[in-house]
Amino acid sequence: MDMSTEIGDGVIMDYFVSMLLIGIGVALLATGLFTSYFGAGKSQKIGLGLLVTGILAIIITYILTFEAGTGVTTQFDDGVFMDALVSGISALAGMIIGMFVILFVLMKVDTVDDLEDLDLEDLEDLDLDEELKKLEKELNAESTDSSGEEE
Amino acid sequence: MAETSEIAISMLIVGSALSMLLMGLLISYYGSSKTRNVGILFLALGIALMYYVTSMAYDSVVFMNSILAFVGGMLGGIIGIVIFLVAIIKS
Repeated sequence: MDMSTEIGDGVIMDYFVSMLLIGIGVALLATGLFTSYFGAGKSQKIGLGLLVTGILAIIITYILTFEAGTGVTTQFDDGVFMDALVSGISALAGMIIGMFVILFVLMKVDTVDDLEDLDLEDLEDLDLDEELKKLEKELNAESTDSSGEEE
Repeated sequence: MAETSEIAISMLIVGSALSMLLMGLLISYYGSSKTRNVGILFLALGIALMYYVTSMAYDSVVFMNSILAFVGGMLGGIIGIVIFLVAIIKS
């Protein structure tokens, strides 16, 4: 496969920078939403700031891509931007699907196979009442020792 | 302009292959017995998917540009989270 890119043809600007801005915007929007909702006092204000910054980043990317009637010259090709957006969202969806498949298989596969190696006869031979009495005796002995030392 | 469906399908495969490669590596390294076998299986599946997507009849330039866009988006997300952490920690 030919791994070349059209670097000289504004590809970095159209594909990379536009998606970088969108990535920053979405991340700030999501974290800002959470922080402004669950935060209190100063954290809530910071969350609001992050939220506004995220929305601004997305609006700026939109204005730089599409004719929004603001008089600003567009920097990104709108068709290429949509392709970049589709590729980014698709790859993210693919990663999520892959994670779900892995989790599903791991949960379905019986991973606790070391139980067969356990010697259950030892457990059956244990007299729990006797063990409990031993423990109580040990605890009592320790408590009498410690009270004797204090005196 | 490439077909949107081509981009979407190829990037969907790339995304799932990437997660299977990374998770497969982790599971096969840290897992034990059956879990390790599952990890190796996922690793092999990830490699096979990656080989398939890079060798299928598809415009390589568009594919590489899509990868560039994906990397840009991921990097943007990481920068956004770093900005969030700096803002929270500094406050």
